Amino acid sequence: MASYGGYTKTGYGTQAGNDGGGFMGASQQGSQGGGSKSYSDDSLRPVTIKQLVDCEEAYPGADLEIDGIPITQVTVVGQVRAVNPQATNITYKLDDGTATMDVKKWVDAEKADDNDPKFAPDTYVRVWGRLKNFNGKKHIGAHFIRAIDDGNEVSYHLLEAAYVHLYFTKGAAAAGGGGNAAGGGDSMFVDGGGYTAGGNGGAVPGGGAGNARLAKCSRNAQSMFNYLNNSPEGNEGMHLNTIATNTGMSVRDVLGAADELLGSGLVYTTIDDETWAILDY
Amino acid sequence: MEAASTPRITCGYLDTYVGKNVMVVGKVLQLRGEEAVIDADGNITVHLNRDSHIMVNSGVQVIGKVNPDLSIKALSSLDLGTGIDYNLANTVVEVAHQHKSMFQYEQ
Repeated sequence: MASYGGYTKTGYGTQAGNDGGGFMGASQQGSQGGGSKSYSDDSLRPVTIKQLVDCEEAYPGADLEIDGIPITQVTVVGQVRAVNPQATNITYKLDDGTATMDVKKWVDAEKADDNDPKFAPDTYVRVWGRLKNFNGKKHIGAHFIRAIDDGNEVSYHLLEAAYVHLYFTKGAAAAGGGGNAAGGGDSMFVDGGGYTAGGNGGAVPGGGAGNARLAKCSRNAQSMFNYLNNSPEGNEGMHLNTIATNTGMSVRDVLGAADELLGSGLVYTTIDDETWAILDY
Repeated sequence: MEAASTPRITCGYLDTYVGKNVMVVGKVLQLRGEEAVIDADGNITVHLNRDSHIMVNSGVQVIGKVNPDLSIKALSSLDLGTGIDYNLANTVVEVAHQHKSMFQYEQ
């Protein structure tokens, strides 16, 4: 098992059987400049298979990214096109209409084989796993696979993948209202344009002009602005470190976001160069 | 891992996908031997293959090739049961066409 470790940065996590993502090959991360990886960075992202096929690493050995965000765990929904049982794993060819990709479910030899359900061709399944890049060929190392009984889950998954894609590329749908995200899928997606600039309208008191400018900002800048906007602090604003801690961004990201917000006239510096408040007018 | 998609479409997109493989989710309205009419935001005639097992009033997913007369020659069909939200399926088609980079390769 350990002998595979050298091939890929993340190690062959799925080989640990049910422990799935637990083994991240921490020792191999040491050479990486960009800080250590931990469970707190893990997220579960719904994606289409085409996004996985298209995604690329910024430089050899870097994290695989979609929309500029490193991907950790992913979930896909697709139809089984081929089943290929092997000694150590079962390889399924999964097709969701956008592309096809191999999914490997590792088999624990010590456990009874009968417990592992096998999925017949043409059945719809949902897969949770990690994207692996092995000798230049990508596949999904599945932690878990289950069959889909409700045909609507396929539609739901594709819409959720689209929502997350838009969230990362254009910012959150609405600053204060988590309810919107859960609410009507129809209005949110079909409207198209209203989603970006208008989405912030309800929650941000700054006025129409500010919203349009905020909509053009990066995701970091938007989350910094939203944090400032939702903080009860007085007119002294918020310090760099406070913002970094509370938004979970790095200090460098906050500085970049602040530059962007300053440039578009949405915030101003108060008691020193590292403290910002929202420019209300 | 070929770069081929079967885009999800509805009736209105048929004429832009003539000769291409597509995926349609709709409700079976009529079944006449090897020909079926399904409703996917409009009626589509589907020429079924021998292994198609579909039922009237049930939801179905058809993957097939669009003929020049805008009917579809089915390559595979899957019965989805009766609990399908067709508005949702049609919304997916609209969203997929607004964000093609996520959903389909240029053909």
